[in-house]
Amino acid sequence: MIHWMVYASVAIVLWGINGLFMKLGTNRVSARSMVIWVTVGFVVLLPFLWTTTTLSDLSTRVILVGLIAGAVNGLGNWAVFACLEKGAKASVAIPLTALYPLCTVALATVFLKERPTVLQWIGIALAVAAGAMLSYEPAPVTATEEQVTCVQ
Amino acid sequence: MQTDRWHFPVWLWYALLCIFWWGLWGFLSKIGSDKASPMQMQILFTLGMLPVALGILVQMRGKLDRDRVGITYGLLCGIATGLGTLGYYAALREQNASVVTPLTGVFPVLTVVLAFVVLRERLNKVQMGGMLLALASIIILSI
Repeated sequence: MIHWMVYASVAIVLWGINGLFMKLGTNRVSARSMVIWVTVGFVVLLPFLWTTTTLSDLSTRVILVGLIAGAVNGLGNWAVFACLEKGAKASVAIPLTALYPLCTVALATVFLKERPTVLQWIGIALAVAAGAMLSYEPAPVTATEEQVTCVQ
Repeated sequence: MQTDRWHFPVWLWYALLCIFWWGLWGFLSKIGSDKASPMQMQILFTLGMLPVALGILVQMRGKLDRDRVGITYGLLCGIATGLGTLGYYAALREQNASVVTPLTGVFPVLTVVLAFVVLRERLNKVQMGGMLLALASIIILSI
């Protein structure tokens, strides 16, 4: 059996590469447009995924859970933009939203009765702090900010 | 002397909302992954996300940027994220969500390194500290 850490590493590596593509992409198109094109990228994968599996063996409950999981992830993306549009500094908001695993930990320990070991709790705390710290990018002084300052 | 009263900023509500939605995604992914394969979960995830993406498109009034290079990076983002998410769902089948989700949350560690190597972006001290904590967490959680 493959260790779960190998699977998690696949996610870390591909999501990490995605972060680079995201930086390169948002130099060319708006962040909102990027979300749409990223979703199109998900759709591009669908035919390949469908050749390997069907959904026929899944219960209605599991199908609903999967669909809602996709929807709430999309709502999270929407909330980031709404947050930035309501005046949040990206250097504060992005590291803050990177704390989302805390919410998963809370829900999983309360509703799924997960009980991490002491060592795992230490790892969880370090990982959550790392996620937030790695997302920190001080805001560069942009032309727009300079203009705003001038107006004030 | 009159002091300004502090108000809970609107943007902070949205940031907390985002934490809630994404956190709920991790939680529901665990419940779904117990029964569905990573491929099945990714299919459902994509189908579930489509109405929200459509809503965002409507909110944008169809003003979608169509720069070809930008679109290519966007599609690559979707493909990389989608394939990476298969790994996330596979890990959730074997391990608790309270362990997997914080661990995969350190993915910016690679983005920061790649941005340093490919884009020649500078690493700031906070990010350097974050890299150390990320490596420590990977080691501890793999024990």
